[in-house]
Amino acid sequence: MSEIQIRFSGSGGQGLQLAAKILASALALEGRSISMSQSYEPTSRGGLSRSDLVVDSSAGYPLVTEIDYLIILDQLAVENSTGMIKSGAAVIVDNERVDAPPPGEHKTSTLPLVQTAREVGNIRAANVVSLGAIVGISNICAQKSLLQAIHDTVPSRFVDLNLEAFKRGYALVSANREEDPHLTAVS
Amino acid sequence: MLNKTKAAFEIRDYIREDLFPHFMCPGCGHGIAMRALLWAIHDLNIDKDKLAIVSGIGCSGRVGAYIDANTFHTTHGRPLTFATGLKLARPDLQVIVITGDGDCLAIGGNHLIHACRRNLDITCLMLNNETYGMTGGQVSPTTTRDRYTTTTPEGNYEPVFDACELAQGAGAGFVGREITLQTPSLKSLIQQGIAHPGFSFLEVISDCTEVYGRKNDLGESPQMVLSQKSEFRSDSYGMIADEVFQPRNVKTGVLHKSDRPEYAEAYQQRITDRVKK
Amino acid sequence: MSSVLNLQGNHACALAAIAAGCRFYAGYPITPSSEVAERMSLELPAVDGIFIQMEDEIASMGAVIGASLGGAKTMTATSGPGFSLKQEHLGYAAATEVPCVIINVMRGGPSTGMPTRPAQGDVMQARWGTHGDHPIIVLTPWSVEEVYEQTMRAFDLSEALRIPVVVLIDEVIGHLVESVDMARFKAVKPVERKWADSKKQGFQPYAITEDFVPPMPRPGDGYRTHTTGLTHAESGFPTQDPETGQRVISRLLDKLEHHNKLVESVEQTDCEDAEVVIVAFGITARAAQSAIALLQKAGIKAGLFRPITLWPFPDQSYASATRNARLVLVPEMNAGQLIVEIERYQKDGTSVVGLNRYDGEAIAPQQIVNKVKEVLQNA
Repeated sequence: MSEIQIRFSGSGGQGLQLAAKILASALALEGRSISMSQSYEPTSRGGLSRSDLVVDSSAGYPLVTEIDYLIILDQLAVENSTGMIKSGAAVIVDNERVDAPPPGEHKTSTLPLVQTAREVGNIRAANVVSLGAIVGISNICAQKSLLQAIHDTVPSRFVDLNLEAFKRGYALVSANREEDPHLTAVS
Repeated sequence: MLNKTKAAFEIRDYIREDLFPHFMCPGCGHGIAMRALLWAIHDLNIDKDKLAIVSGIGCSGRVGAYIDANTFHTTHGRPLTFATGLKLARPDLQVIVITGDGDCLAIGGNHLIHACRRNLDITCLMLNNETYGMTGGQVSPTTTRDRYTTTTPEGNYEPVFDACELAQGAGAGFVGREITLQTPSLKSLIQQGIAHPGFSFLEVISDCTEVYGRKNDLGESPQMVLSQKSEFRSDSYGMIADEVFQPRNVKTGVLHKSDRPEYAEAYQQRITDRVKK
Repeated sequence: MSSVLNLQGNHACALAAIAAGCRFYAGYPITPSSEVAERMSLELPAVDGIFIQMEDEIASMGAVIGASLGGAKTMTATSGPGFSLKQEHLGYAAATEVPCVIINVMRGGPSTGMPTRPAQGDVMQARWGTHGDHPIIVLTPWSVEEVYEQTMRAFDLSEALRIPVVVLIDEVIGHLVESVDMARFKAVKPVERKWADSKKQGFQPYAITEDFVPPMPRPGDGYRTHTTGLTHAESGFPTQDPETGQRVISRLLDKLEHHNKLVESVEQTDCEDAEVVIVAFGITARAAQSAIALLQKAGIKAGLFRPITLWPFPDQSYASATRNARLVLVPEMNAGQLIVEIERYQKDGTSVVGLNRYDGEAIAPQQIVNKVKEVLQNA
């Protein structure tokens, strides 16, 4: 399988590490190998935060160098990824929190990730809405594995919320795909 | 615990005689403190193989080497940290720390208060001679006001630490003080401290005749310990840090005793038992 | 159930310690190593071990040595500033030959530096941080799996040789989560300390034995020995005799020399006929490995020399790996520390060049590729 690089980015407290962890767990269920890394500021809330996944690494290097799938939930995270986005990559930015997406030869889509989380009942579920969008675009793993991973990873009282958030994120992609040809897997 | 049929205390049974002559100056109170400790150990019937003496740096730190036991001469101010690890790993050992006023209250002050707070079953014997004797007699946290040391050429102007109040405030389960002249009382205090299940802090009022005494014209050892006898009394009520008492009028004997939970026991109940359930 | 786990480097370190027989951990919170302590606080009680958070870094190291003197396998974990504070007791452990494992998850420095960002600035501190001449072993894993492997090995070396062992991890590897197949660790049997069991009368705790590792007396076994950080004779008691001092310190230093085969571990990739050899450890070696593949594609004969045992530096293996090299590149996340050691072995016809980054970011493979090409073009 060829290598795939994914980044969840935004500001601290948006649950980006958790989103990556759920995806890593889903991939593990399918026997895929992952490397997951993170970068954050010393504060627990606010400041640049990102969580990266390298799936089925070919070169053995565990950090992202050319991102295939990128989620940006806050404008302050844009600059950090600029120059690391692969040509043709799928970049999803939040319509409320990001005004100026990163420039370059990639496919940018603007989706209401935070708004969807709000509708689900908790703005902090934007991470898992994003995860739904990533899986919807990339088909990187089966929905079943992802739902199982949510059960395995999230505290039981938040499982239902996260399952709903994931489904809504996934649906955002299929609903918008006809209008937005960017919402397709990276070749 | 006292074994009535046991032989009388003979110090030679508890020391490493082959290391003699020892390093202590004539008139130093540390040797008497060591004798009282060994006497207490004898009366408590503690097996030398199970006895661990952990000491720091300075004159007090060197005392441990003369005791025929498992002896650990550690780093300056930190014997309590070693003792904490040793006792937790080996609860079967009787762990006794020998430290000094500089070792315990200055460089090791942080370790002391946390050892008191935890209340792990260790006995801490602080030999207070009011100075850093080994390095030439510098000022320490317990140097009496106005006294001369090699780093207070105009006399000490810093307030003193009352180690016993500090230990009690920090949570030590057992706190006491005694002078070396009252050797039987000192022995009895140490015996009670060792027997107490929890952290025992024992301050021994020692004397540094050779360096500190000479510098302050305090006389030879007999004069020094006799003046201690009038200043430190069991029927008194003052504390070391009370500046209103002039001359000093400081209480000795058992100063504090509480049945706060002992650390290792609390650990067992809260952590190990819960995890294993 | 699959034996593959998604495991964080710091957690792997804790699990490996438990598997190696570690039953005592004392520590103090510090980013980016705190997950080691957190995991140990969870795991140790279940195996009748003791976890204690001490009042400071110095105290943690003291408690670790105290517990080891009592017979436990012990570990602590910290990061740069905390590692500085531990140096006093690291020296004590080296001088008194008390086994213990110290994990240092490196972050940006100097001083408080960049707590959440990676660096490799403790290369020299790990070797020379405490005063005086002393032996020390420093291991540098480059993956989560190797954190597990080398932490276990750290215990084995420490117990076998009675020496403190430092595992130098960078923040990237400490916080990296990777898929690790745990199956191969199942059968590993930890090394146990050599305890004294000879005659108690006249026992010499620091006797010069054939393998330079004196058996350790266990408190309670009846030896009643003395342990001191003062220079001590074979008897364990302090000495000021020059001849004795020279003899016992020499024995201490000769110990590692004698066990060099056990201690050394290196990995060489395509070094045999390499014109360019990259010397790197930790996350930087991962970048270098990617880089040599890219360089080879571009027709450059490049190899990677990775000192897993960083100290003592594997000088002979290094000399052999670089015998055909025109260029030795030393990328490291500091201003040039490992390169100082490499330069000591520089020979005519080989140039040694550094690639240094200390901005809190890892060195990327492409950076190494570009540097090699640049140097070769200007040669």
